[in-house]
Amino acid sequence: MELEAIGKNEYELFFGPAHPGSGNFSVKLKIDGERIVSARADPGYLHRGFEKLMEYRLPIQNAVLSDRICILEALAWNLIHAEAVEELMGIEVPERAKYIRVIMAELSRIQSHLIWYGVLSIGTGFDTGFKLAFGYRDFILDLFELITGGRVYPAGYICPGGVRRDLPESAKERIPKVLDKIEKMIDFVRAENPANIARLKGVGVLKLDDAIRLGATGPVIRASGLKTDVRKDEPYEVYDRFDFEIPVRKEGDAYARYQICIEEMEQSAKIIRQALKDLPDGDFIDERFSKLKLNMKIPEGEVYVRNEVARGEAGIYMVSDGGTKPYRVKIRGPSFLHLIPVLEFLLKDAQIADVPAIYWSLNGCPADMDR
Amino acid sequence: MIEKEIIDKIKKKFEVEGSVQRERRVIVKIAPDKLVELCEFIKDLGFEHLSSLSVTDWPKRGIYELTYHAWSYKDKILITIKTGINRDKPEIDSVYAVWGESAQIHEREMHELFGVEYKGNPDLSPLFLEEWHEKPPFRKDFDWREYVRKNFYDKENERERVYFEEV
Repeated sequence: MELEAIGKNEYELFFGPAHPGSGNFSVKLKIDGERIVSARADPGYLHRGFEKLMEYRLPIQNAVLSDRICILEALAWNLIHAEAVEELMGIEVPERAKYIRVIMAELSRIQSHLIWYGVLSIGTGFDTGFKLAFGYRDFILDLFELITGGRVYPAGYICPGGVRRDLPESAKERIPKVLDKIEKMIDFVRAENPANIARLKGVGVLKLDDAIRLGATGPVIRASGLKTDVRKDEPYEVYDRFDFEIPVRKEGDAYARYQICIEEMEQSAKIIRQALKDLPDGDFIDERFSKLKLNMKIPEGEVYVRNEVARGEAGIYMVSDGGTKPYRVKIRGPSFLHLIPVLEFLLKDAQIADVPAIYWSLNGCPADMDR
Repeated sequence: MIEKEIIDKIKKKFEVEGSVQRERRVIVKIAPDKLVELCEFIKDLGFEHLSSLSVTDWPKRGIYELTYHAWSYKDKILITIKTGINRDKPEIDSVYAVWGESAQIHEREMHELFGVEYKGNPDLSPLFLEEWHEKPPFRKDFDWREYVRKNFYDKENERERVYFEEV
């Protein structure tokens, strides 16, 4: 952290980018005593220009590239990229692939929420929570290794046309076992912790009108009292066939967001169990994509695809001019809104000691903000 | 069908080309000078959430195609508003007054990457790029391969010479 005196009691304080846990992102805080006068987000440390890079590559290459949009939930971004290409090409994915995709996307959500719980815990001084969450997350990474071959980056496992490899037989037995373990862990973290309540309750309150105006989505807006989830509002893949709830809170503070995080993990586990039970037989990739063809043309057109990733609403706007490569790709990352307008708004007039609780309760990912 | 009703409501007030792309997707094309008025109108219809805002560069047609994607929490529909502006002098009124900060930050990004001037936006300072003096990088006529070669590779260096060879 860097301190620079401005006035008598006013200081400028840099939160990040070298702060442990802030990610490749920083906020410049103007502080008067203990109170934050104004906050300004400073993104760009992870800007890789995916939107431009994708214009130069084939969809099959972009599938691999889409891993990197958000490091912490690579599979979810794989899925939305694949959906955009499929909708442009008018491809119906085999049933089995749709179920596998849902299983992977939900495993990815649990894994990402465990990180959320972990960094929120360590940010507010609860070291055990961090170790617990990251330890249990490793069980899911083991599953990813078994199914996709990569622990963090699946290398485009969910690709246009379906998925790259079939679900291994052993995965069907291992996934429920891992879910059992994680549900046990959730029961443990659910217990009301007085220190946790003291640090999170009433901190960083986001009212619903503000949340809509600032562009908050996903868990953040659900914690402010709006019942919305792309999986229910606009079901993609086979989400309409499963029975699950959308957790909603009214308070809009950091504690509400933390509770949503815990409850969503349970709901995701519920979806995975149903998907495993109903998993149909058949192809796992469309035959047109099962053999790699480099000259496959994308028909002229445009699509805007929305998905619910762990952090909120993700969107891809893809335009094609009839060539083999997409003409324009616009990626909408949920953290772009959460970490710039929402964070700046919540930090204004907050206490300096509440910065970690506010920052990590938003579950931001600098990678999908900068793209 | 609610998608049709929305287009009809807009057509009563504005001169637009509208179509239903598929279930829950509506596309509306409008002239740039009427854009803000239309955005205000659809926000009152329930499109409270500006999901995204984007620019597509069409150098052959000489235009920037601006797209605004707004979602209605009430009707569960996404509307895409499209308009075209001259790409050599890209200027358009900001929708900051309509959607607030969420529009402001999207416009700030597009200003940086495409050079579009959003009139009425209070803050269009650089976002991702630092000390950028070239033309906006997401324009189709910006060759990033050339830029990388010029700035990051050395022709005299034996190991980097390969980047300068014609493929």
